[in-house]
Amino acid sequence: MHDDHKCNCEQPLVPGIVEVIDIKEETPDIKSFYVKNIDGQGVPFNVLPGQCAMISTPVGEGMFSCTWQEEQEWLQFAIKRVGLMTDDLHRIEVGQQLGIRGPYGNHFPIEESKGKDMLFIAGGIGLAPLRSFIKYCFKHREDYGKIQIIYGSRSYADLCFKDELFDLWPKEKDTEVFVTIDRPEEGWDGEVNFVPTYLEKLNPDPANKMAVTCGPPVMIKFVIQALEKMGYSDEQIITTLEMRMKCGIGKCGRCNIGSQYICLDGPVYNMVQLRQLPPEW
Amino acid sequence: MKILNKSKLEEVLNRLGENADVYVPMSKGLQSGFYPWKSLEGGKDELMLDALNVYQPPKSVVFPQTERMYSLYQEGKGLKIEETYENDEPRVIFGARACDIKGIICMDEVFLTGGYEESFYKARRESTTIVANACYEPGPSCFCAAMGVDPLNPEGADVIIRDTGDAYIWEALTEKGEALSSTIKDLLEEKELSVPEAKPFIQQVDYDGVAEKLKGMFEHPIWDRTSEACLNCGICTYICPSCYCFDIQVKMYGHEGYRFRCWDSCMYEEYTREAGGGNPRPTGRERFRNRFLHKLEFFTERYGHPLCTGCGRCIVVCPAGINITSIISEAKEADLDA
Amino acid sequence: MNDFTQQIQDIASRLLDNGQVDVFIAWHKGQQDFQVQPYFARSADEAQNIIFNDYSIHNLSNSLLKFRDSKEKIGIVVKGCDSRGIIRLLEDNQIQRERLYIVGICCPGMKDPLQAMRDELGFNHKPESTELAAKCNDCIQPNPVIYDELLGTEQSPRVQDRFARVKEIEAMSADERYQFFEETISRCIRCYACREVCVACDCRTCIFDEMRPQWVGRENNTTDNLMYHIVKASHMAGRCIECGECERVCPVNIPLMLLNQKVIKDVNELFGPYEAGMQYVEGQKPPFSMYEESDPDDFL
Repeated sequence: MHDDHKCNCEQPLVPGIVEVIDIKEETPDIKSFYVKNIDGQGVPFNVLPGQCAMISTPVGEGMFSCTWQEEQEWLQFAIKRVGLMTDDLHRIEVGQQLGIRGPYGNHFPIEESKGKDMLFIAGGIGLAPLRSFIKYCFKHREDYGKIQIIYGSRSYADLCFKDELFDLWPKEKDTEVFVTIDRPEEGWDGEVNFVPTYLEKLNPDPANKMAVTCGPPVMIKFVIQALEKMGYSDEQIITTLEMRMKCGIGKCGRCNIGSQYICLDGPVYNMVQLRQLPPEW
Repeated sequence: MKILNKSKLEEVLNRLGENADVYVPMSKGLQSGFYPWKSLEGGKDELMLDALNVYQPPKSVVFPQTERMYSLYQEGKGLKIEETYENDEPRVIFGARACDIKGIICMDEVFLTGGYEESFYKARRESTTIVANACYEPGPSCFCAAMGVDPLNPEGADVIIRDTGDAYIWEALTEKGEALSSTIKDLLEEKELSVPEAKPFIQQVDYDGVAEKLKGMFEHPIWDRTSEACLNCGICTYICPSCYCFDIQVKMYGHEGYRFRCWDSCMYEEYTREAGGGNPRPTGRERFRNRFLHKLEFFTERYGHPLCTGCGRCIVVCPAGINITSIISEAKEADLDA
Repeated sequence: MNDFTQQIQDIASRLLDNGQVDVFIAWHKGQQDFQVQPYFARSADEAQNIIFNDYSIHNLSNSLLKFRDSKEKIGIVVKGCDSRGIIRLLEDNQIQRERLYIVGICCPGMKDPLQAMRDELGFNHKPESTELAAKCNDCIQPNPVIYDELLGTEQSPRVQDRFARVKEIEAMSADERYQFFEETISRCIRCYACREVCVACDCRTCIFDEMRPQWVGRENNTTDNLMYHIVKASHMAGRCIECGECERVCPVNIPLMLLNQKVIKDVNELFGPYEAGMQYVEGQKPPFSMYEESDPDDFL
């Protein structure tokens, strides 16, 4: 890990302050927040794809995966409204200052995946963390082979990053994007399926491939089963784990699975590592 | 050797109290714990250096139950953190037993290693000097030696005192300990005393190989039965010298407030409840299992020794009579095919 | 007491053997005599581990809450005060009478295992153990009020002056009272043992665990602690069955029954005569689970 991708502060639990420079409504309950330092000079820290940050308002703190870092310009976090703190976040306006600390946790295997074909499988807000890896692959297009993205959500309205899904990404070199929704609806003539079933139907060849999946726990479970059935080895299957977090630095205790702290040692794991853990994820 | 005559003890504690907050084992009515020496009320409170141990461990001296971290000030769209509250006032823990100091060592590993040094703990810890009271007579619920603790030579002590009856042998072990000794050197005497004889442990506990064995016992039926009586209250975690889990919360009065941390307990349902309402440890059984596996397996995997120091407090306080030594022996004897 | 052990073992074996119950809740022995522990026997063989001795003080009716969502039939041993807990659970529809086989014991008074632990295990300067547990000296109902089978001979209540402690506090000036409660309640470490051990605390999601919104702060200070104890005591109104377990298990000796008894006294005076869990009448509700036009409201 590069040194500048690790929190180097003397007070790891005390946040720095950033300003929200843009807010984009992705879906009815997901908004993207773009933040940068309050002096207007750059980002509070550098983030690798898959790493997280603890964002705070006076209501609470929450751990969120960074959806994208645009050079030294801004950090983007796509955040779903699920609880007290995210309710508060969804009410703020551009110009609002927030607390932020991080970056936390490990990152997607950007090095190990070089030279491989990439298969990204996401459901709902699960595309937010994967997007950092997807965009990283596009940015370093020559380092990675063919890119396939399978993404689904409950309805068309619930699909995140629609402009990228339907316009930008399909135009990228050697890239396929497959989108599905859970239930049929008027105006949608695309796939109607759950993500794991759609994955099995598409049956992407495991040869020289890395499969990275993120989404609701039940989706992840069935995606992993499907991948195994299609012949993916444990080394080829990457996912992220979620537990409640408070400190972000492996101290407060609650995000453990076995002796692993998801905030510190995770959130990214491959199946080889996951099989070493107690079945609590 | 240096000795401290018990007749000079009060004077020593007063002297140490001139430069630091001195915490001593003390009874206050039915309560006992490490309380400030200055708070001792004659006729009511009693110093308990000669008791086996006190009810509340000295954990809160370095890791208080509630600790303010920083101020928050909101104005319009602005957010300011003007103050942080690291507390590095000098303090002395006087007369702690090896088990309790091992608890602090466990916390040192958690808070000060692993890539992040947590600044609030660090400030308190570095300004704390520990005077250990070597333990020659284990109580009926003691099993520190089985958990890798040496009651005679407490690890982590800056000074060790050894009770010989009328006087303590005083032995400074670290720079901090030397500095402390120098402030009371006129109250110490030079004299040869023989070290007391150590009595054997009453309770036999065999933790050997248990951490490794537990790796294969996550889904063992042992947890169904052992957890059945547990009420899922937090007494054991709050009274434990090594339990360190905490929560971070905020208190706002209008636009101003502060963020604080407070002890949390893995026994509570809320501890792992996610924002969306899901919970990976929904019932008492999973929480009970996680607590004991954390103590006996997970912590050992991460830091090389268990998160139990054998003080026996959780056995004493548990309303449901749960006994960690029974869990260790049940795990030791468990049939892995069960 | 040994008598009781044998009799309970026999009953448990019989019930488990003939399938009348799936689980039988009693006690078994720990490492020392005073370390008895609630025990859940599931076979006639396991019933042989059951023990009843001076230290079988725990109110087991609370354990029934672990079974409220199951269909298992349950045998359970209760003393006088504990049996009132069962009535509370029946009134709150937490368990069904036909799932229970209740073995009542006319209680001669118990010793406190926690007190014995502190004395015997070296955590006390001076021994505190008394002949009977403090709560048993305040006993108003030693004989079970609901049972299928009764063991022992009827005992007399041991309480001398039921509300003596309450009256002492009532006699204080407001300032004295505040000081008293500030001092005792600031000791609270918020371990929630008083809640977990309480049979009347049968809410599925407790207000203190609720985070949206968070009703009570988690700081360990007088304000948040007082909030916890005042809210808890109010929720006990008409529900506390005076088993005294909360006060017994409190690791910092907060006189919790003082608060509960004050509320009991007030409920009795305002809405009474009323004693929680004294008598099971199907469909009957405690005073604060219903409304009557004649309810006093001048305190509003």
